[in-house]
Amino acid sequence: MILIHPFAKPLRNGKTNPKNYPYWKELIAVIDEPIIQIGVEGEEQLVPDFRKNLTMLELRHLLNECRIWIGVDSFFQHLAWDCKKPGIVLWSVSDPIIYGHTENINLLENRVYLAKNQFLWWEATEHNPSSFVKPEIVKNYL
Amino acid sequence: MSKILCSIATRGRYHTTLPLVLEAVINQTWLPNKIVIFDDNDEPQDMRKEMIYQHFFQIMAIKGIEWEWLFAEKKGQHHIHQMANRMDFDWIWRVDDDCVPESTVLQSLYSCATQIENVGAVGGSILTPPLQNTSKSTGLIKDIDSEPNIQWNFIKSIKEVEHLHCSFLYRAGVYDFNTGLSRVAHREETLFTYGLHQKGYKVLVVPNTVSWHMKNPQGGIRAETKKEMYDHDEQIFRNTLSFNDNTVVVLNSGLGDHIVFNSILGSIKNPVVFGCYPEIIPCRSIAEAQYLFGSIDQWNIYAKMDQWKWTDSLENAYRKLYL
Repeated sequence: MILIHPFAKPLRNGKTNPKNYPYWKELIAVIDEPIIQIGVEGEEQLVPDFRKNLTMLELRHLLNECRIWIGVDSFFQHLAWDCKKPGIVLWSVSDPIIYGHTENINLLENRVYLAKNQFLWWEATEHNPSSFVKPEIVKNYL
Repeated sequence: MSKILCSIATRGRYHTTLPLVLEAVINQTWLPNKIVIFDDNDEPQDMRKEMIYQHFFQIMAIKGIEWEWLFAEKKGQHHIHQMANRMDFDWIWRVDDDCVPESTVLQSLYSCATQIENVGAVGGSILTPPLQNTSKSTGLIKDIDSEPNIQWNFIKSIKEVEHLHCSFLYRAGVYDFNTGLSRVAHREETLFTYGLHQKGYKVLVVPNTVSWHMKNPQGGIRAETKKEMYDHDEQIFRNTLSFNDNTVVVLNSGLGDHIVFNSILGSIKNPVVFGCYPEIIPCRSIAEAQYLFGSIDQWNIYAKMDQWKWTDSLENAYRKLYL
């Protein structure tokens, strides 16, 4: 089973979080394995098994059960790191050297897309689909 | 060679003690690289039109001292000093606008700061006649209510203390002024220098560094009389001291940050954590931290990483802030 955590926290200005991966549907289409999506109420459902608003304990259990997980730069990659469960993080504007963990597979299209100031609110950064790796690249790491 | 900024906060003293202070600063045997005058006057004036100031600025130009006259935000001198603290200098010599240094003060302070390892701040005598008997003063924070400040008389030899007063030289950018104090900024320099001490830096008093504190009831950066302001600041000071034996941790940040921080929690000495996610780390509330300490800016990990031009991991940023 593969666990996916597709979305970072919503921005206060209502815009798309620049850390949200834009090709989830394409990526899911090339995965031939059961997928469980985790997230919170209000997020787009991408697979039939969408588990919302789980407790930390429930998330830890799922992490232990999954073969691998895929996510964006959000709390989940830190939780998985704390559970010592490596996975795949799909980066765009935030710097994996600062916010990532070397135990994970950190996929970044190009460092030119990183936000110039890594320490401001993400509201100031536009979502740019070009800043993410394509699903076929991700598939190679599964 | 280290870069030194001389920072002078002024209010209501254009034509009394401020010119004396400026004259003394530009006639030091060791000169600062730059002087910034933070003008906190209610009705600021352009002092370039005043003859005596014109002379000062010309002398600074001749001596190669850069200068800047900044109109401050009228929020008190803690905000001013915090601005100076972040101005990309190695050392800041903070000089009060009624505290006139003798000519060798900066040289002595700087010499001590750079020749002794791990100095955070170094101060000298701050004298107002009649002098007080400080022969038994320790300079320790525990004695602050029961002894005259050790700087209020001549200092016989270099001594490590826990707090300083009035004017001193400090290492820039390693500790923040508490901007949660009121405009009078009562105890601001004590909180600041004690914070440096708590962070593991040496705080020293040194001999042959006399500044004459020409106390003037007119003007002054603390020219407020509201008792509530003093009470508010005193309470913050007392609250801060009540955590003497602890490392205060404030996590006013996201869930992921709490998880990352949790990995270093075990290495922190006697931590008291204020945070947002008790399910990750047992903690007291951010509102309580704000109430106790006035400002929690000094624990803002993102502001710190920005200040440090950080390129390493978040986990190591937490280590730098707390270990």
